[in-house]
Amino acid sequence: MIALLPTLAEPQHFSLVEKLLFTGLALASACAFWRRFGKILNKILKSKKDASFPLFPLAWRIRDFVWEVLFQAKVIRERPLPGLAHAFVFWAFCAFALVTLNHCAVGLGIGFLSPAGRFGRFYFYCAAVFALTCVAGIVGLFIRRFFLRPKWLGAKLSYQSGVIAFLIFALMATYLASFFVADADPSARVLWWLHTLTLLVFLPLIPHTKHLHLVLSPATVFLSRGSFSQIPPLVGDEDFGLVAGTDLTRLVSLQVYSCVECGRCTEHCPAANTSKLLNPKEIILGLRGYLNDLGLASEEPLLGKYNAQEAVFQCTTCGACEFQCPVGIEHLPILVGLRRGAVNTGVWEDSHGSKLFLALERGSNALGISPAERDKFIEKQQLPLFDGTQEYCLWLGCMGGYDPKGREIVADFARVMNYLGASYGVLRKEKCSGDPVRRLGNDLLFQQLAEANLEILAQNKVKKIVSICPHCVRTIQEDWKEYGAPPEVEHHSEFLARYAGKLPQKGSGLESIVFHDPCYLGRYRNVFDEPRKVVALAGELVEAPRNRERSFCCGAGGGMAFLSEETGNRISHVRAAELSATGAATIATACPFCNTMFRDALSATGEGAPQLLDIAQLAARGLPKGSSS
Amino acid sequence: MKIVVAIKQVPERDAQFRIDAQAKWIEEADLQFTLNESDAYALEEALQLKEQHGDEVIVVSAGPERIGTTLREALAKGADRAIHIECGDLGARDALGVARLLAAAIQPENPDLILTGLQSEDLGLGQTGVILAELLALPHASLILHVEKTETGLKVKRELEEGWFQTVELPTPAVLTIQSGGNKLRYATLMGIKRAKTKEVRRVTAAELAVDAAPVVVLERVALPQKQKSTQILPGTAKEAAEVLVEKLKVEVRVL
Repeated sequence: MIALLPTLAEPQHFSLVEKLLFTGLALASACAFWRRFGKILNKILKSKKDASFPLFPLAWRIRDFVWEVLFQAKVIRERPLPGLAHAFVFWAFCAFALVTLNHCAVGLGIGFLSPAGRFGRFYFYCAAVFALTCVAGIVGLFIRRFFLRPKWLGAKLSYQSGVIAFLIFALMATYLASFFVADADPSARVLWWLHTLTLLVFLPLIPHTKHLHLVLSPATVFLSRGSFSQIPPLVGDEDFGLVAGTDLTRLVSLQVYSCVECGRCTEHCPAANTSKLLNPKEIILGLRGYLNDLGLASEEPLLGKYNAQEAVFQCTTCGACEFQCPVGIEHLPILVGLRRGAVNTGVWEDSHGSKLFLALERGSNALGISPAERDKFIEKQQLPLFDGTQEYCLWLGCMGGYDPKGREIVADFARVMNYLGASYGVLRKEKCSGDPVRRLGNDLLFQQLAEANLEILAQNKVKKIVSICPHCVRTIQEDWKEYGAPPEVEHHSEFLARYAGKLPQKGSGLESIVFHDPCYLGRYRNVFDEPRKVVALAGELVEAPRNRERSFCCGAGGGMAFLSEETGNRISHVRAAELSATGAATIATACPFCNTMFRDALSATGEGAPQLLDIAQLAARGLPKGSSS
Repeated sequence: MKIVVAIKQVPERDAQFRIDAQAKWIEEADLQFTLNESDAYALEEALQLKEQHGDEVIVVSAGPERIGTTLREALAKGADRAIHIECGDLGARDALGVARLLAAAIQPENPDLILTGLQSEDLGLGQTGVILAELLALPHASLILHVEKTETGLKVKRELEEGWFQTVELPTPAVLTIQSGGNKLRYATLMGIKRAKTKEVRRVTAAELAVDAAPVVVLERVALPQKQKSTQILPGTAKEAAEVLVEKLKVEVRVL
């Protein structure tokens, strides 16, 4: 019987045998679920407690939860079509919570939603709409996984996913079909049982497959560390980072079990995209394998059978993985944590890495150059010395103080500051901010550098810092906090954007300029518009295919500028080619590391390469002649 | 193999040096100090020998309170214990005086091998290790790049001029002065520093060692070297010039 407005059929009068059978099967299903899930939950809860993890305030946690979980905003924004398909499935699951509860209650003769009642009828119709979109979504996802087969999902087809897709489809189909039969019709009873059996098969599959994310990832998103790439402090005399199973913390274990293996991290990883060993998804799955096989009590190193040390030290810490992850995995504390474990215990041996560490143990800068060279540069450029009366301390950093191109950027930025009449000075003495050693996991050196710098800044009574280097800015503002209270610090793009109105504007449309978002300015600091504002003063802004939050790394971060990149293509070459291909006359950067990487990459491409300038140089170029210091 | 490494703390090479009022030494007030480079290589050689043959590495150094940080650093890199010869007047002692202090502190340890850097970065005399050997009446070899333990004693590789090397065998116990660059230095680690906290640093004063402090060589005056620039234009084709340049960077400037 097909009515104009069909009603959901609910079989009535279940026999005692049926009730017992249902109860027995439901219990068996729940047990099968718990046997696996209980183990996992136990592992998470028994992991080491996280240092410095304040649960409160809850406001931003709730906001992120609503936005990323309930609205599925991140999933949709970063992969619109599959994201929307996923959201349809997720929303249907939410809507079905009540339907499923009622469905089971009906089997015990205690159904509480009447398909004939006003609310029941309304709710079941709503659920039917969600079921329809869910069917569309799951069919779409099935086609994507089994026919389109994007490489990020892995070369091997996941038959588990196929089974799960079928079960979800079956759940929705049996629900929708129930609208087209009568209560008393035997087929209503058959549909009820089919729906029930699907449910009871689905439940235990959740903790046995990556669909565990259904249960865990809402918690993972809610329990995020709160800021990007937050590296936890080491506690006590026996904490050297992630060395063995005993070092895995609750957050790490929770995140590791939440991974849904979607491969977004790998899709955006500069190392994985240039044929390196590193694959961020496999790092997480490697840790999961370790937890499953060896557990928390194991003293076996985390880097070895389950994850390769080589891979971990190929990471540029660009953070594309952490930014992309839809289930709240924070890759950077994990990758840096694994590096800490290897470096703090002296297990990592790399001639370039040792050279960098020894240069910073004995000297002041990462380039291993005498500070006398910095003094000469300051003298030659007649940069004013900071004496406590000026508003800004112009922090040079290793690149600004010692690298020829970095110096040009500082000199030009100083010209702009002079033009604007800003009051600033440079420090007589400065040590490396510690960025490369922080990211490489050398906590001893990092602490020494941070403490020495904090003392220098306090002695000089520095209140505000401005720097041309996003790595320095990030490290000073966030990472030094562990050892003291750093002064206020900003990147020169923020300074320049604030004074954009006072800077001369070139006629637009003359020169096309493509802006490369440095990872440590964009993803790390959320500064995207300011440098673009400066670029717009000098010419016509062009966007690279991957821009803003999706910007592709230059290859220098994470200490990689000081190591050798021997496997695969060079990251800098890939990105430089992408920037050149926009046809822009000029590539603008806002980071001296990006600058040096692209300088090398562009010189390798030879003739016809676009010119390469920092935004400070673009701003300085527009100044009237003779306005130099 | 029980190895003693005699080390020295010297001003950081990068520092801006000023001559003190008496023109006898440099102003030490604003300086930062570090482990003498060739001593770092001596320590590395000792640690590698220990890793191969076991037993212990003892570091010994003479100097004021501040050398404690350098001794800790050596312990952090893997030395087992340290002897700090407290001595505030190191600058007034000549190489013989310092070697006497070291000899007196080392003698009771009865080591199988004594290593020290070829020379210090501040005075650059290159004598302390050799005099130490004489005082202890032990065989010695200088400018050593590599040490190998043999059945009967040691086989060592010495650096000579012009890229020549010499291999020498000598019995133990012996004193060797180590040249920089023979090994790759290890970096200091957090674990090393934490472990070093519990390692022994035995303090002994110069007076307790009862050695003669009167110098036979007196430092008359120190002065900063005159700055001079020289520019060289390398002739030939780019390829030829590049070859000469690489050679110069390797041999003369020693940055490669």
